[in-house]
This record gives sequence, structure tokens and C-alpha cells, in this order.
Amino acid sequence: MPRVQREAQVTWQGNVARGSGTISGATGAFENLPYSLATRIEKPDGETSPEELLAAAHAACYAMSLANELASAGSAPEHLDVRATVTLDEVEGGSHRIVESELLARARVTGMDEAALQGAAVEASAGCTLSALIEASAKVTVNATLEGGTDGD
Amino acid sequence: MATDRKADVTWQGDLMSGSGRVDSVTSGAIGGLEVSWSARSEEPGGKTSPEELIAAAHATCFSMALSNGLAQEGHAPEQLKTSATVTFQPGEGITKIALDVAGRVPGMDEGAFQQAAEQAKENCPVSKALASVPEISLSARLEG
Repeated sequence: MPRVQREAQVTWQGNVARGSGTISGATGAFENLPYSLATRIEKPDGETSPEELLAAAHAACYAMSLANELASAGSAPEHLDVRATVTLDEVEGGSHRIVESELLARARVTGMDEAALQGAAVEASAGCTLSALIEASAKVTVNATLEGGTDGD
Repeated sequence: MATDRKADVTWQGDLMSGSGRVDSVTSGAIGGLEVSWSARSEEPGGKTSPEELIAAAHATCFSMALSNGLAQEGHAPEQLKTSATVTFQPGEGITKIALDVAGRVPGMDEGAFQQAAEQAKENCPVSKALASVPEISLSARLEG
């Protein structure tokens, strides 16, 4: 398969404490979203942040990977809900690090039992390119549950 | 103090023919963004993808870190224009991120700007989180 490139552009003005920027994706899916330091580390006040964008990327990446694993294990999901929560924390020396991305998945999958779901959930994180990258420097946790299962529970 | 940001995605069906949506995020700044495997791995057709969102996360993080580094040297930027391009090889993963920044920074020379940009590339939290990407490149220049 050919390689794929995706681009995003930022314009930033001023210093970090009082300045602000905007972010746009080259596909046009999101444009000129404002962001700033205050909304990144305090109340978001309607503004996105690097960590929120990373959470969106991780949830989307994991959802695709989990759909693929479930289909391989026997049944494509009717519905998946995936939440990613990315945590930025201050570490020694006063700098900030992304310390964790927590994935929560709820799956509606006909005819799948709990054990098969758990196996697929772990495989899905291994198969999601972003999980593998984040795991090299931070914690990735995965928690998956079946909803409306047809296996008698 | 730790800061959490979350995003909710829904997906229906298998990978190849199914589709999903970035439904909502903590801030409410984005929502209802459709995603699919074909839009991710072929022509985007106006749809975002994990790689575009990673590019957005990295470009925002890098720009903020660079503005901080420049201000610490007494040269807060008038403007930084940054792009991040993420290369994804299906079946392999993310193989490269290319950062490109053009800065308008009064009183700063090219060498000092390059150095500050290199520092921001090394130290911004998203760079640290993605440090195992095989190649992260940087092109930095002053303009104006």
C-alpha cells in the first residue's frame, strides 16, 4: 500500500504565556481552531489543545484497530464507543510530560464472548500505530466491555 | 497539576467498509468529524484521520514550546507559522513526522532561531510522547 501523508498548520503569535495560536488540518475537516497555554493547562474554555488532539487521534486509531481485530476474531462490531483520555503532568524539573493515555471501549458485537473481546482489545492496542508510539514513553491502558451481549450474560 | 483531555469516537462495522466519527472532545472545539479507513489510507475527501490529528497535536505543541524558548531568550515571536506532516505506511505505522517553521522574530539571528527550534523539537511534550517515531525532521527559517 502506498504511504500516506497528512498535514496540519499552526499560526502562533506572541510569547507562550499571553500569546495564542490557531490550528487547521489540510483536509479541511477542522479549521482555525484557537488554542493557548491557559486553555491547555487550566480550563479549556472551548479551546482545543495538543493533548486533546492527541486523544482524538488515539481514540480514532484504536477504534479502527479494534474493529479490525473483532472482525478477524469472527464478528465485525455493530457499534463501538471509544474514549481516549490523555494526561499531561508536571514532572521533576518543572517540565510537562504526557504521562498516560487511557482507552475505554464499549463494544456491541453479536455472538462474541467476554474473553474474545478482551483478547481483541489487547491486540487492537498493539496494532494501533499510536499506542505503540506512546507506550515507548508513557502508559497506555485499555479497558474494554461488551454491551448488550448475546452470549447469555 | 495534571491536566486531562478526552475524546470520544464511535465506530460501526469492520475496518474496511465501516465508518466512525470523532463525536466530541473535552473542550467542545471539535465534534462530528467523520473517519474511515479509505479516507485514512487513500484520498481523504475532506475527512480527518488519526495522522492528521497527530500532525495537529505536534504542530500546536511545537509552536508553543518554541514561543516559550524564544521568549526566554528575550525574543518573543511576532509570528510562527508551523506545519507538521505525518507519514503513515499502512501495515507498518507512522514512519516520519516533518516539522517546518517560519518565524518572524525581531532582533534574532538565524543560528539562534535554529537552535531554539531544535530545542522545541526535542522537548515539547508531544515530541517526547512520539520520540519513537523513526524520523522526526525539522526545517526552521526566519522571515521578514
